[in-house]
Amino acid sequence: MPLSDILARAAGLASEAGSGALKQLQHVRLPGVGQASATDDPQTAARRWRAVTVLTDPDQLRSATPAPLTRFGDRVEIRVTPAPGDRGAELAARFREPVGEDDLGELRSALREAKQRIETGEVLRNEPQPHGHRKQTPQGEALDGMVERAPKEGVL
Amino acid sequence: MKAATWTGVNEVSVEEVPEPQLLNDHDVILKVTQSVTCGSDLHLLGGYIPFMRAGDVLGHEFIGEIVEVGSAVRHRKVGDRVVGAPFAACGNCWYCEQEQYSLCDNGNANPGITEGLWGQSPGGCLGYSHAMGGYAGSHAEYIRVPYADVGTFVVPEGISDTRALFASDAASTGWMGADLAGTEPGDVVAVWGAGGVGQMAARAAMLLGAEQVVVVDRFAERLQQVREHVGAETIDYSSTDVLAELRERTGGRGPDVCIEAVGMEAHSSGAAGVYDQVKQQLRLQTDRPTALREAVMACRKGGSIFTLGVFAAMVDKFPLGALMNKGITLRGAQVHAQRYIPELLERMERGELTTEHLATHVLPLSEAPRGYQMFKDKEDGCVRAVFTPGG
Repeated sequence: MPLSDILARAAGLASEAGSGALKQLQHVRLPGVGQASATDDPQTAARRWRAVTVLTDPDQLRSATPAPLTRFGDRVEIRVTPAPGDRGAELAARFREPVGEDDLGELRSALREAKQRIETGEVLRNEPQPHGHRKQTPQGEALDGMVERAPKEGVL
Repeated sequence: MKAATWTGVNEVSVEEVPEPQLLNDHDVILKVTQSVTCGSDLHLLGGYIPFMRAGDVLGHEFIGEIVEVGSAVRHRKVGDRVVGAPFAACGNCWYCEQEQYSLCDNGNANPGITEGLWGQSPGGCLGYSHAMGGYAGSHAEYIRVPYADVGTFVVPEGISDTRALFASDAASTGWMGADLAGTEPGDVVAVWGAGGVGQMAARAAMLLGAEQVVVVDRFAERLQQVREHVGAETIDYSSTDVLAELRERTGGRGPDVCIEAVGMEAHSSGAAGVYDQVKQQLRLQTDRPTALREAVMACRKGGSIFTLGVFAAMVDKFPLGALMNKGITLRGAQVHAQRYIPELLERMERGELTTEHLATHVLPLSEAPRGYQMFKDKEDGCVRAVFTPGG
């Protein structure tokens, strides 16, 4: 087998393994991978303020809790502060009591939606999109899992 | 409708797919007239950016006619002939207000992936993987364009489709590199890569007042295009010592501005090229930064470098010591096309910026697999393959 084919085969295998690992990284906090809390213990991580900066008047933002956050009721504290340099307002929220990853994911998603509604008037949708035949492969299924979790994951 | 899709590593197919729908009030649906291959697509094709799903529609550089308009669209109407920006940008966040449209906070519906990779999420790019938003691309009969008031531009009557097409990405990316690298009148500018983006970066540098512009590549037909259509000097790196040649042509100083328009699959005729190929294929590094390394070593003390080529993650043996000790400024960005397209269309209308020569191969969409193969292998002097979904 030519060297280029061997290298390509090795690349394919590594790629599949890498995608599986990336899916895991959406759930595991590891140092240096850009996730929200790399070295915090779970309790500290859960208590951190999670914030988005919204290009809007802080006073206007303080006047009413943005709709996507109202569903949490009294379970979350909300803080609005002016952002430096005319960047608008910092909208932050955190749970009053310890919660799990699912609740934190919901809060991340709600903060992002709140920012989008205020800045653009709607929440960006990307489904359904035109696509061709979806072959069932381990790499594809790993990616489907990442995409499903993506709005609720990340550094927020 | 027919669309060109990614179906596996180095596999492109033409499939029947559903037509796009208006999903947000700011959307339009475009009937695509022309859509063109981009060098950055090759990173997707080759599996170097492992966020493609079989069946994803490719393409992000396009022109077409609006056929459907969302209820919140104010400045576009059915029948408008428009060129589209590759990145979805809301126009209302702080980044958009700074005209850094490809960094839009509200353009990527999958921010968790890119935040995990890069610490922050840039905007979303049409037809450019699920990491960049999962949007269907433009190699199709129709495409949905989000935030259409911001991301589409009406093309003046006097400009042909093929000329305007390249305002979408190649020309706007090239212009951004020359502009944000700080090109000033009298500068010497070197550009690595004589593809569409590199040629447009060289032309932009000239129009911004650079006194000498040199483009580096190894493909004779591309270097010939640079001399004939752009009017810049060339260096063939396969037969010339680039660093020595640049020193000789610049009085020993090196270029004031270096623009890297190659990206993560750079080639090299030397041992460094073999080293990078092996490490990338074994996934011990994700990107081959060969041209960028050379730019760092070539750049004059205190000069600037702009990387336009797409990089995904990690590189190896990067000469950070040279960068720091020579006082070099290094910048990079995905294209802020919305910032540059209006000016580019004006320059195209005046004839200052011509792009038709880049479209070396114009093919029906049904021949997209062959078009990508020619583009990837640089067959028959292919610089860009343009698809015409309408026939």
